[in-house]
Amino acid sequence: MSMELETLLKLLVFPGGLTLIALGLLYEYIDRKLVARFQNRVGPRLIQPLADLVKLLAKEEVVPAGVIPLFFVSLPILALAGGLTAALYIPLAGIAPSFSLPGDLIIVIFLLGLLTMAVGLAGANTADRFSILGATRTLTQLFSYEAPFLLALLCPAILADSWQISVVHDSLIGQIWFAALPLWIGFPVAIIGLMGKLEMAPFDAPEAESEIVAGALTEYSGRGLALFRLAKDVELVVGLTLVSAFYLGGLANPLEFLLKTLGLLVVVAALQALFARLRIDQTVGLWWRIGALLALLQLVIVVILKGVIL
Amino acid sequence: MTGATKEKFVIPIGPQHPALKEPAHFEFSVDGETVTSASVRFGYVHRGLEKGAESRNWAQAMYLLERICGICSHAHSTAYALGVEKLAKVPAPPRAQAIRQVLLELERIHSHMLWVGVAAHEAGFETLFMYSWRDRETVMDILESFTGNRVNYSANVLGGVKYDLGEAQAGAIRQGLDYLEERLHYYMKIVTSDESFLRRTRGVGTMTAAQAEELGAIGPTARASGVARDLRVDAPYLLYEQFPVTIVLGTTGDLQTRFVVRIQELFESVRMIRNLIAHLPEGELTARFPRRIPEGETISRIEAPRGGLFYFIKSDGGENPARVKVRTPSLRNFMSVLVGSVGHQLADVPMILSGIDPCFSCNDRMTVVRRGRDGAISEGKDPLPRSRS
Repeated sequence: MSMELETLLKLLVFPGGLTLIALGLLYEYIDRKLVARFQNRVGPRLIQPLADLVKLLAKEEVVPAGVIPLFFVSLPILALAGGLTAALYIPLAGIAPSFSLPGDLIIVIFLLGLLTMAVGLAGANTADRFSILGATRTLTQLFSYEAPFLLALLCPAILADSWQISVVHDSLIGQIWFAALPLWIGFPVAIIGLMGKLEMAPFDAPEAESEIVAGALTEYSGRGLALFRLAKDVELVVGLTLVSAFYLGGLANPLEFLLKTLGLLVVVAALQALFARLRIDQTVGLWWRIGALLALLQLVIVVILKGVIL
Repeated sequence: MTGATKEKFVIPIGPQHPALKEPAHFEFSVDGETVTSASVRFGYVHRGLEKGAESRNWAQAMYLLERICGICSHAHSTAYALGVEKLAKVPAPPRAQAIRQVLLELERIHSHMLWVGVAAHEAGFETLFMYSWRDRETVMDILESFTGNRVNYSANVLGGVKYDLGEAQAGAIRQGLDYLEERLHYYMKIVTSDESFLRRTRGVGTMTAAQAEELGAIGPTARASGVARDLRVDAPYLLYEQFPVTIVLGTTGDLQTRFVVRIQELFESVRMIRNLIAHLPEGELTARFPRRIPEGETISRIEAPRGGLFYFIKSDGGENPARVKVRTPSLRNFMSVLVGSVGHQLADVPMILSGIDPCFSCNDRMTVVRRGRDGAISEGKDPLPRSRS
């Protein structure tokens, strides 16, 4: 009984469920506010992301003609579920993951990929031309950043000799400077990979409003849109946690978690404000010409180092 | 997509689309992400202003025509006023002409800075958008303190201007221009050196000088392609003969050159305004103007921020204009979008489109109503056509 209650709490309150959603909304606020301040705008109020969410949830969800309704309704839920489930395997708030099993790194990366897949499918499901183009771009982008992002996250795992997030994480705590040297190559790849995953500027070609309105999500309104946006917020937190756990010397306690993830968020926000949007062909080119090469270079260095030193 | 692969995949842009702030309908056929053909349809905001002018007297018509464009309103009222003054043979006093010219150049600054922001926004470069519009407020404030309005200044009257440019005003203008000039240098640096921005502008929407001539492009769009066409130089009006501008010419004709040309034109405008307020002629602000204009017709042309603005004005000797015909510069530049976007990525299309600084509502002089699904053009027999789409 108590085991079940504990599991339920883990799913619904912490680290999954409410805590994660609250953190997601808070991080979205910080991200939007920072970008706004960098752009000399006022930016949203603290309550704004929550207000947006409540407003969208309260609105009618229009299911357009020409879609498969089951897909249309279930894809946003799938996307959010992916993000929330992924949170169970990561050291959120510096506390050990709720569940841990060998190879859960791959599970988390797959779960994070669910959001992109769901967005792509949602776009392809509708008959709208902007949605279809957006879906094509979303999936094209997925194929460009996913491999380098995975490789970048794999290097710390190889150093730690395990694909279990908690093991990798524990091995990194306290020895950041020893491990960090070869990892500085992969760090930018991981951050920018995360931005590509979340379709943040300048990698927002899949939802470039001046070209294809809202991309794959053009036809979404009401609850579906709210859930997709929430899924993105959740994924932002999960992604930031993962990258800072692997590249910034672990997250020993909640304070360290806040400092490191927020620090990373500042960098991400600054990068969003700095550049003009990349065309989709430029995004793909960037990833395969530079991102993948950097990640591979790091992989080779890590493997050689490991062979020589250990 | 089997079976449908031969079919054209058409991306409609407009009349409602986030990239367009005004209604026009573009259809871009794409093959993957590459544009294969383009077409355009206007007429969504035909307001009947030419006809409206005929039922107003000469003075009232000016305020109506000033509202053709919200951005270059002063250019419209000046073009009209100059034409009517030519018909009446009552020129405005030199001081009024100088003040009109100051306003025209201030308006050019406000228009071009607006464009820098819009074009940056289309490229997804929100930061440049926000910064340039913040600094644009400087010139808006100048215009407001001078005339009382941010747009539609109503500064002209037939035979002169309403507002005098006093020493206090001149001081405020000088101060504002100093700040603006400094910022313009900064923007020039951005558009010529920011790598991510150059990737979106260099070599995009290139139009050669020969193409520009063939397509009839005008204004900064044509000048960026190296076509030396500027009414301020070719057919000087107001005091452009005493205070000449230097034509700014580009060579490559791509989007990046259009940025450079427009920003350089702003340096010219700043220099011109400083020069004008330093040598403002003394004298009256208005000349006495008759109610009735002698019979005759005339053409009045001035260089609006987007290119040559054309007015044809006809009088039958009465209190109202007999005919006013307006051709705004955007109309002559749209062909370059249709030709220039073919072969480019869809992602470049909004930028190519905004590259000519289009002003849709201003150029709608007629509307074409198509019936139902067959798209037959209504011959105007049916006063309430079934489809107004």
